[in-house]
Amino acid sequence: MSDAPFRNPGWAGNTGEFDLTEEQVRGDDFVGERPKDGGHPSGAGALPYMLAEKEPEAELFEGEYQERFEKILTRYPTKQASLLPTLGLAQELRGYLSPETMDRCAELLDLSPAYVRGVATFYTMYNKRPVGRHLVQVCTNISCNLAGADEVVDAFLRYTDTELGETSEDGNFTVIEAECLAACGFPTCVQINSRYYENVTPAEVPKLCEHLKAEGE
Amino acid sequence: MAEMVTLTIDGKEVSVRKGTTILEAAKQVGEEVPHYCYHPGLSSPAMCRMCLVEVEGAPKPMPGCVTTVAEGQVVNTQSGEARHHRQGVLEFYLVNHPLDCPICDMSGECYLQDYVHAEGRKHGRGREPKRVFGRDDFGGDVLFYGDRCVMCTRCVRFMSEVEQDHRLTVVERGNRSVIDTFFDEGLDGTHFHGNVVDICPVGALVSKDFLHKARAWDLTHTPSICTSCSQGCNIDHHTRDNLVQRLKPRENLDVNGWWICDYGRHNYEWMNHGDRLEAPLVRGGEPSGAMGWGDALRTLLERAADKKGSVKAVASPFASNESLGALKRLVDALGGGDIVYRSPRAEDEVTLEGFPTLVRRKDLSPNTGGAGRLGMKRVGDDEGHGGLENVANHDGVLIVLGDGLLDQAEAFGADAGLFVYLGTHGSAAAAEADIVLPITSHAEMEGTFTNYEGRVQRFWPSLDAPGMARPAWLVLGALAAELGRGSVVKTAAEAFAALAAEAPAFSGMTYDDIGTRGAVVNESVSLTGD
Repeated sequence: MSDAPFRNPGWAGNTGEFDLTEEQVRGDDFVGERPKDGGHPSGAGALPYMLAEKEPEAELFEGEYQERFEKILTRYPTKQASLLPTLGLAQELRGYLSPETMDRCAELLDLSPAYVRGVATFYTMYNKRPVGRHLVQVCTNISCNLAGADEVVDAFLRYTDTELGETSEDGNFTVIEAECLAACGFPTCVQINSRYYENVTPAEVPKLCEHLKAEGE
Repeated sequence: MAEMVTLTIDGKEVSVRKGTTILEAAKQVGEEVPHYCYHPGLSSPAMCRMCLVEVEGAPKPMPGCVTTVAEGQVVNTQSGEARHHRQGVLEFYLVNHPLDCPICDMSGECYLQDYVHAEGRKHGRGREPKRVFGRDDFGGDVLFYGDRCVMCTRCVRFMSEVEQDHRLTVVERGNRSVIDTFFDEGLDGTHFHGNVVDICPVGALVSKDFLHKARAWDLTHTPSICTSCSQGCNIDHHTRDNLVQRLKPRENLDVNGWWICDYGRHNYEWMNHGDRLEAPLVRGGEPSGAMGWGDALRTLLERAADKKGSVKAVASPFASNESLGALKRLVDALGGGDIVYRSPRAEDEVTLEGFPTLVRRKDLSPNTGGAGRLGMKRVGDDEGHGGLENVANHDGVLIVLGDGLLDQAEAFGADAGLFVYLGTHGSAAAAEADIVLPITSHAEMEGTFTNYEGRVQRFWPSLDAPGMARPAWLVLGALAAELGRGSVVKTAAEAFAALAAEAPAFSGMTYDDIGTRGAVVNESVSLTGD
């Protein structure tokens, strides 16, 4: 990936100092699409490297997802306690948490739908609306902001021709602002799906987006 | 005996049970610690930060609603330190509060208003624009003004802990957090949701029924008893312009806690109905027509004089114990006879899960407990209709007290030698009544009801009686006294004393014993059969 069109391809490998592949940095298990069975002994333990599926109408849950859901239930003392990973699983499958999704999760866990809504809306990492194939989260917290994060946001919005939170017409991008992504040493940091892109400047945003589009196909 | 703990609050020494919170202990020395999220009927999350008090030796202010007392503790709730904390908290409460008190229903009974007036800063320092939510219809009787909310979550906890139907939740977080239901689900179909309006310390949750109807400071509060079922919930009538404007629960842990059901809460319009009977009316013979009480009662006694021997009476379980007792005395004085009553019944009970003492009973009348204990028999069906076949054609003296006879034919009582009708409203079935006497509703008189478990509870008059209407116990008691049964009763307390003297269930009880909390009759047999 040394010919990547931007300085940092999403892992701390290709900074010019080293010339490491993604596999070398992350290890084989964490490169590529996340396996549907969770890919990790702890069930929902590993973050999805890329959001594997976005099927808004998918059944909650069946097949491998049902197995993972059951595995989640075994890991918590009460059904209520397993709400967060259950919502995470539903989002991985459906892409976002619609009212119907929340209702279904409430049913699965014997909770009230209102309670599930309260939890789902509290956490910003649950999408309450459909998002594009690439969810672009630009850090606008202090470090990144001092380094010009606002211009990076504008560059993304210009390229995708959207407002904050809107999905682009081709369904590829949704751009939102994020609070600190804990990459203050590499501003501006942009998290796209589960990948970090560091040291992003407005000038390289179009190239980055083109790359993502190509990758998505 | 529970272990006691002695501590000092604001310089006053007090001994309280171990485990008492500072907030409750402060109440006992007469200090009200300001609070929003704490409610005695709910859990305490200590999230409003209003009840922060200074505890000597503690490194920082402690929330009074969850901090339990300790031996020798010295607490200051009114010191400069404590007030300073509260002032700071209050300033934050006003950061986004719209200050729309002039158009807010809660104005005048709002705790944000009270606390800010008492201890808040004179001027706010916030310069940022306020965030705006607008209002939301929660369904049922509840309207939500998001901007006024102080996020105490009393309503959320009421629904989850007491009603145990978790319909309300906090949506979003930070300064965007707001109370909401599951999208359009709303509160419809729950039976106690009106209580969230009562426990809301500010004007965020308001009643649609009461919306913009009256200002809090114009309302007169009168303690009363709910008449919508035999539970006998303690309530307050809030009145203005001689009209009941709304009903609010009154705390009584033996009966209803702090709560009432929505059915009872909204069943008050009937107390305001006009078209009342306002003067005694005498028909047939001489004299006849509308007349004063003296003439009417003298005529009644004259006409009754030659008809002694066979009396039948229809009473109402909406009449007070005193009125029913006076009716019994009169019937006895006229020679004795059966007294029946009719009472509607619901198919199901509705229990408040988190406070199961409070149940909307099947028996939908407030005083079947009293009527039953006085030997009166329930007749008719579950609608409160029918069952009067033997009475309708009775040929002796017929007395109807309080029963509107709405299902009866106009010929009701046509054969009666003397038909006396005592009611609040006229009735087509009273067309044959020889004497029609206007009586007061329970809202216009003092008296007692006996609830499903035999608890006798007092109510007080909240409205002025129309025209010449008088309490039934006064009218019937005077007639009975004239016929030689008992002495004339002039007050409700005397009427109750007369009842207590005759009915074993009530013997030994007085108004003073009953007080505002009620007292249980001398036996504890449930007559409602629920």
